[in-house]
Amino acid sequence: MTDHDPRPAPETMAMPIASGNRLSRRRFLRGMAAVGAGGGAAALLAACSSDSGASSAPTAAAATASTQPASPSASAEPTPAPTPESELYVYNYADYIGDDAIPSFEAKYGIKVTYDFFDTYETMTAKISSGNSGYDITFATGVDVPGFLARNLVQPLDHSLIPNLVNLGPEWQDPGYDPGNAHSVPYMWWTTGFGYDTERISEELTSWAALWDERWKGKMAMLDDYRETFAVALIRLGYSVNTIDDAQLDEALALLQAQQPLLRKYTADDIGDLASGDVWLSHAWGADVSQVATELPSATYVIPDEGGIRGSDAMVLLSGAKHPIAANLFINHMLDPQVSADNTNYIYYMGPNEAAKAFIDPEILADPTLNPDKAAIDKLQELLDLGPDLQKYQERWTKLRAGA
Amino acid sequence: MTRGRTRDATLLMPGIAWLVVFFAVPLAIIFVVSLGARDQFGGVVLDDLSLRNYARALEPDFVPTVANSLRYAVLTTVFSIAIAYPIAYWISRYGGRRKTLLLVLVMLPFWTSWVVRTYAWMTILRDNGVVNGILEGAGLIDQPITLLNTDLAVVLGMTYGFLPFAILPLYVSIDRLDPALVAAARDLYASGRAAFWHVTLPLTMPGVIAAALLTFIPAIGDFVTPDILGGAQTTTIAKVIQTLFLSSKDWPFGSALGFLLIVATIAGTVATLRILRREVIG
Repeated sequence: MTDHDPRPAPETMAMPIASGNRLSRRRFLRGMAAVGAGGGAAALLAACSSDSGASSAPTAAAATASTQPASPSASAEPTPAPTPESELYVYNYADYIGDDAIPSFEAKYGIKVTYDFFDTYETMTAKISSGNSGYDITFATGVDVPGFLARNLVQPLDHSLIPNLVNLGPEWQDPGYDPGNAHSVPYMWWTTGFGYDTERISEELTSWAALWDERWKGKMAMLDDYRETFAVALIRLGYSVNTIDDAQLDEALALLQAQQPLLRKYTADDIGDLASGDVWLSHAWGADVSQVATELPSATYVIPDEGGIRGSDAMVLLSGAKHPIAANLFINHMLDPQVSADNTNYIYYMGPNEAAKAFIDPEILADPTLNPDKAAIDKLQELLDLGPDLQKYQERWTKLRAGA
Repeated sequence: MTRGRTRDATLLMPGIAWLVVFFAVPLAIIFVVSLGARDQFGGVVLDDLSLRNYARALEPDFVPTVANSLRYAVLTTVFSIAIAYPIAYWISRYGGRRKTLLLVLVMLPFWTSWVVRTYAWMTILRDNGVVNGILEGAGLIDQPITLLNTDLAVVLGMTYGFLPFAILPLYVSIDRLDPALVAAARDLYASGRAAFWHVTLPLTMPGVIAAALLTFIPAIGDFVTPDILGGAQTTTIAKVIQTLFLSSKDWPFGSALGFLLIVATIAGTVATLRILRREVIG
């Protein structure tokens, strides 16, 4: 497989893993993500991480060496150099980090990073709710940070280890969900709309109603994420995506139940399903569709006329973390302008890092679906933490999924 | 006499301990949790025990998923035995010196994670996967057939996964069958077919029953295959239980459904064995 024609055109029989391009590797990792989601990996991890309290000598040396301003970027180094632990356990979505972010961190500090994926956000929250998941860092939706804090799932960050906080844009210095970024650091922000293959569907789609169109029956997917999926129905009905009104939610459920026979699946892999052609039209995160487009150039992303969803993900340090120093250093590393820009250039998600913009591909910055302006963002709704009322969504999600 | 019995009981101890620790105790925990309620963050509250979750479990909401589970499990069992029987028969009768090698080959897939192997089926079945590629290449179809995310994909994936569980007991049972009995039937002018139906099959029935149980029971509790190879319409009751635990965070209700599933499976297994023992084995 060569790079000049990344489309999976005539060699449709080729197995994605074998073809060796960037996306194929991603797809492979995604498969691995589900293995982790199966529970085995995390259990093993929890078992392995129990003996890692002490840090080892070579790491300390590496950390000391790293205090010199060796980085070509304007990255600030924490001083004085702490002695980090020798390992770090990071838990994230698949396809949600640049390919060099982890290796460069490992090389810089001599810390061995174990990087696992979760398939759905709920899998992650279920796993960290135990308090001893074995992970140090995970990626939470910004608005969930107060809830995590209330449940003692996260601990304060050590800002003396994260001097790169200065790189954050002014609007991210003091986010409403976490004043002063005391317990979290914004990672990426995103919008949710839908993506489709313009080669299969030639007309221009602009409304969420497309996902109820009989013509694409069996070729559509909704996200396997109940807040996002209910949000689509609520937007179509003209209600708030954070409603806790039972009658409105019942209407949304009925609308989704009517849609279910038309769907191929509820997907935890919007990228893979669109890129493979199994699905022509999918509820999707905007940047994910851009990842699809590197393999399937006819894929396009739409923020529907009725409005979509926006949100941000933040890195949090879990309460049970056994490697807090390494974790703080990792967060600092992710705020390095070059690292942050590399992440964006790889996954197409925009970050909150103002200093990184100089290194981000101008095409990404200029793309209104990836980097919408303030006016466009303001039209989007944010999914808020509903506290106990979240149960209303969860119960209806169970009903929706059970209605086979 | 008494000493012999004591020794028998001693031999049973590891098995009993295993059953208690890994079956009875977890089952009891599941039962207790199923009587509780969830708190606002999805934790379990046990201060007001009731059967409310069982009342919810019997609501008609879950009939379609139970029907799906039963359908997949029955089809998987039937296909597994239909495929496994000739294989087991062939290995036993014609395997010769290579019997051991052939049996190792049957078990070889276990060396790879089942989830990974199930993912491999995705690349085979998807719209631009191996099967559609061959069919299109041969000019048999112009549009890909939807194979992945269908009932077919789920039953195929389960049959593939559970086939070794069917082959092994069938092999044991067929291998123990004295070939002289079949030869005697043939001497008495039974056709090959008649000898199979009247001698071989009845005598290997215990193997068939063991194979059926070893396929049916994991199949009815499977949520991985319907999740990976299935689609929006292939939800099984086991998948609903998984959703309740992970997404919906309603452990008490998930426990109630899980407990009912376990009880129904045990009751069904015992009843089937009783009937078969009377009817078939005699």
